[in-house]
Amino acid sequence: MKPAAPLLVLLPALVLLPVLLLAPGQVHGGGWELIGTFLEAALQPSLDPLVLRSLLQGLGITAGMALLGWACSVVIGVSLGIASSRLVWRSLSGSELPADLLRRLLAIPRSIHELIWGLLLLQLVGLQPAVAVLAIAIPYGALVARVVSDLLDALPDQNLKALLLSGTAAPAALLTALGPPLLPGLISYGGYRLECALRSATLLGVFGLGGLGNELLLTLQSLEFRELWSGLWLLLAVMLALEAVIRRLRQRWGMPSRFGLGEGASGQRGRELLLALLALLPVLLLVAQALQVNPMALLDWQPLPPMDTQHWQAALALPWLPLVLNTLLLTLVAAALAVGGAPLLLLCVAPWPWGRQALKLLWALGRLWPPPLTALLLLFVFKPGVLTAAMALGFHNLGILGRLLLEGAEVSGEAIEQALLCGGCGARIALLYGRYSALARSYIAYGAYRTDVILRETVVVGLVAGTGLGSQLTESLSSFAFDQLLLLLGAYAVLTLLGEDLSDRARHRLLQQ
Amino acid sequence: MAHAALSLTQPLLELRAIEVAGRQQPRLKALDLTVKPGERIALLGPSGAGKSTLIAVANGLLEPDRGAVFWCGEARARSTRGRRRQQQRIGTLWQDLRLIEELTVQQNLNCGRLAQWSWPKALLNLLLPLESEACAAVLEQMDLSASLLNQPIGALSGGQRQRVAIARLLRQNPRLWLADEPLASLDPRLAEELLELLLRETEAPRALLLSLHRPDRIQGFSRVIGLRDGQLQFDCAPQDLTAGTVEALYAGTAQP
Repeated sequence: MKPAAPLLVLLPALVLLPVLLLAPGQVHGGGWELIGTFLEAALQPSLDPLVLRSLLQGLGITAGMALLGWACSVVIGVSLGIASSRLVWRSLSGSELPADLLRRLLAIPRSIHELIWGLLLLQLVGLQPAVAVLAIAIPYGALVARVVSDLLDALPDQNLKALLLSGTAAPAALLTALGPPLLPGLISYGGYRLECALRSATLLGVFGLGGLGNELLLTLQSLEFRELWSGLWLLLAVMLALEAVIRRLRQRWGMPSRFGLGEGASGQRGRELLLALLALLPVLLLVAQALQVNPMALLDWQPLPPMDTQHWQAALALPWLPLVLNTLLLTLVAAALAVGGAPLLLLCVAPWPWGRQALKLLWALGRLWPPPLTALLLLFVFKPGVLTAAMALGFHNLGILGRLLLEGAEVSGEAIEQALLCGGCGARIALLYGRYSALARSYIAYGAYRTDVILRETVVVGLVAGTGLGSQLTESLSSFAFDQLLLLLGAYAVLTLLGEDLSDRARHRLLQQ
Repeated sequence: MAHAALSLTQPLLELRAIEVAGRQQPRLKALDLTVKPGERIALLGPSGAGKSTLIAVANGLLEPDRGAVFWCGEARARSTRGRRRQQQRIGTLWQDLRLIEELTVQQNLNCGRLAQWSWPKALLNLLLPLESEACAAVLEQMDLSASLLNQPIGALSGGQRQRVAIARLLRQNPRLWLADEPLASLDPRLAEELLELLLRETEAPRALLLSLHRPDRIQGFSRVIGLRDGQLQFDCAPQDLTAGTVEALYAGTAQP
């Protein structure tokens, strides 16, 4: 009994059974009216000019932080990516060892969520706009570096060898042989990171690093739902516009879509691309000036308090096993909800043309809505706990996976779906057999990758989960217990690296079969 | 309905004054066609004549801009449910076969029954081998071994794929069989075999409407129809077809 491809896509949705069984037990009684008022307010957002001005200002700050953080991360990522490429080191010095070492080192900043970087930096240098920018730039830079070095190492090296043999200087040879084929993948991935940066900047705002996230949190806490929705709709408009622009540019420049990063695509319109990059520079400078980002102020940092050896024992005595297990449980439940939920919902609405549009809206809201805010909202009705936190995290990732699923469904299996419909099948079965068969492997492979992103993200709903590493981490951070913090970060890093390794293996197996 | 399904005189397909608009000129113009049980019709015409459009109107893929479609004497239903019921009686052999590569032969064969199955059964088909005997029977009817049932589609040869696609139609058991240029891109031996199989399986009460690119394989059909620029040029028995008529059909085009 081996489930066939289309069924694999739906299997994670089985997690709904325990979730639906356990959820009623987590309801604490009150709060339903609040949820009702919240939903009603969606249709009547506040149009008060004062509110709108403040929200727009917040949105500007968030977008600016995202853009700057993203730009820094691309610069950092490309340089470190080249520096950690085995191919580059092999051609320059004959040894791959430095590349491997750097890769290992880069795994550490990558495994720590931007929120933790933000809170750490906040402790060290105080509240200033550069904190959010740096908090995004560090982990994103390490992520981009990994993708760049992977892309580089996957390129065939005959051209490079030929150039080197003909006596071309190594740096020039590298640029000529590897630059052009690297660009399409890099631009495609870079565009996607910009979307992520907008979401991260909003999230950092929720934790007090400025911008729209902060406004959203304040309106939610003061139950000003109409103002909250004004902010959400604004953010939604910006996010959808950004996604649309990036999609357009990707198509126009002939870049691969995210669903098939493996498929080769050739870049086009190199001159236009170059001009776009040049135009970005003054924009970045203006934004930096408007946000009053001052890199020099970052140098003025407070040293950490000295660590007492006695505290180490207290730190080691933390309940490590439950902390780790709860983090894993939270990750798996949230991942299964998101990975399985998206195809299930799409199947449910398949017969109705408006269903897909409604889902798109729901998913867009999920993507832009920072998980801690969803968690706070859920707390109106549910008790804090792993389940509540998993639902919040799951909803956010449902938005991301759902969009990807739709992108995949639009390009695969059309003919077979059509054939089934012509034979009198219902829309749901035709979608399941026709399109899901074709996209199952790559979707599940992406789900595996997403699972280790979710593991990192557990920290953002830590407070709501009430248990797990993320929760302990925020607690240790606010009580300045840096020894605990260090151990917790280490634990997180180890878990993330293990998870990354596991999901890499799963992905390779899935994609090679 | 049961009466209609058994009737040997009720036309299986009636197209009345069908018009399908195209970008520059209509793809089908004032087209009338009736297919009765037991008829095996070859549809000839140069490329761009409207053969695929005609097949698409006949199997419900395309809704004509004007005109009426009747399946087994019923007008094309308005409700989704009604149309699904009607479409179950029409089976299409696609040129690219449209087998699901990711599934086994048996799961693909069962796709012919999906329209009748409840969704739990459709889900179960992805987990367990269902209705193995019926699947083995249609494979044997196609001179294929039942040992293929658990093979993935990817493991089959080109000729085996053709037969599995026809076997899937046998599972569906439609009255009207449609085929859009099934012989294109097949080597002559395979083409001959496929045509024989199709003609064998579509005796009354079934019927076959098959589009052909070239006019040299019309033996065994009971009617030949010529289509050009979206209009019927002739409709006769194969033995009445003269070389002149065929030439006129393809005149000015690169074929045959």
